[in-house]
Amino acid sequence: MTPEIKAYKRNIIIEVTTNLMFPLTLLFGLYIMIGTSGTGGGFQGGTILAAAFILYITVFGHEKGREKMPESVNALFKSLGLFLYNGAGWICVLFSLAGAQWLNMPAFWPVSDFVGVAGARSFLVGYMVSVGIGLTVMAAFVSQYFDLAWKEEEEMESGER
Amino acid sequence: MIPWKIKPLTLAALMTAILLTAVSLYAVEDLPAFGDENSAVNKHIELFRVDADGLVDGLNAGVLPAEIKNKTEKMGFIKGPTCPGCQNENYPTLEEGNYKIEYIEKGTRLGGRLYTAGGWDVLIHEGEIFYNELQRYYFIEEREGKLIVYRYNWPVRVVEKTEEETAMINSVTSGLADYRGYDTMGEETVILTGALGVILLVRRRGRL
Repeated sequence: MTPEIKAYKRNIIIEVTTNLMFPLTLLFGLYIMIGTSGTGGGFQGGTILAAAFILYITVFGHEKGREKMPESVNALFKSLGLFLYNGAGWICVLFSLAGAQWLNMPAFWPVSDFVGVAGARSFLVGYMVSVGIGLTVMAAFVSQYFDLAWKEEEEMESGER
Repeated sequence: MIPWKIKPLTLAALMTAILLTAVSLYAVEDLPAFGDENSAVNKHIELFRVDADGLVDGLNAGVLPAEIKNKTEKMGFIKGPTCPGCQNENYPTLEEGNYKIEYIEKGTRLGGRLYTAGGWDVLIHEGEIFYNELQRYYFIEEREGKLIVYRYNWPVRVVEKTEEETAMINSVTSGLADYRGYDTMGEETVILTGALGVILLVRRRGRL
């Protein structure tokens, strides 16, 4: 494919702005996602992370977007999020030798010995549950955008234009 | 040595499926019973204790003793305008005629809640002007010569106890991921399932 028939034209202003904004948006998404005292949580943080990737794909195109977020990484994140949430529940059962209930956070003694019974709940919710929710939401949004985005080469092949 | 040939990926998928099934079975087996009054959500909190001598007769007659009334109002009960020039706050007051006291026998089941101890319920008129409802606010129990005053009000209890029980300043986070953790896990599963469904629908080129 020759560069002339590419559908989008390079615009230096948009590309430089996106290169600047992309890491900052990721940082802001992590700030929203991690921790318990702020405004927000896993769902909102994951959406902001996905927004950063969607901006990048929109500006640089499908192929360079795939380099930033490969399909394998996307699939990994999608299931890893749910596994982190379920793992936060399982870890309490395992570390108490099935004495505690599922998702009974203080039973995770390596943390609760350190920061206290109440602190362990806060720690696990802030750093495992929220991050798990955020990863799943981000990967789901990005994968849907990749699927629904207009792909130049496919339509050229099938001759739909 | 495994006698049959099995791919590593198949083995990993099998282990994942077994693990997830175990999680589901464990979750179903271990869910706290609904209406379990000893679960963290349904407990009422103890406000204070006073000596019971002579106060029981007043409670039986339907009048809140002045000692309990003053102590409750001192704990932050808003009555009247909070600042000069403001309108009256729409908070229930403990004036006579505004409340009602009922004695509840031990073992009664009321509103989905089992009374494990007998005591007096203090019901307060609250709500709009024309649709005034009696609401359960305080529960007074007599034990060992003392009157123990409890309050059961779920939102107030959450605001007061969240930081002590979960070390989170934000009570919304504790409600979302701690007290109602099973619900949020289901939500996340719904998101994952939706994403997988979209993938299965969209990525079938030439097979539609």
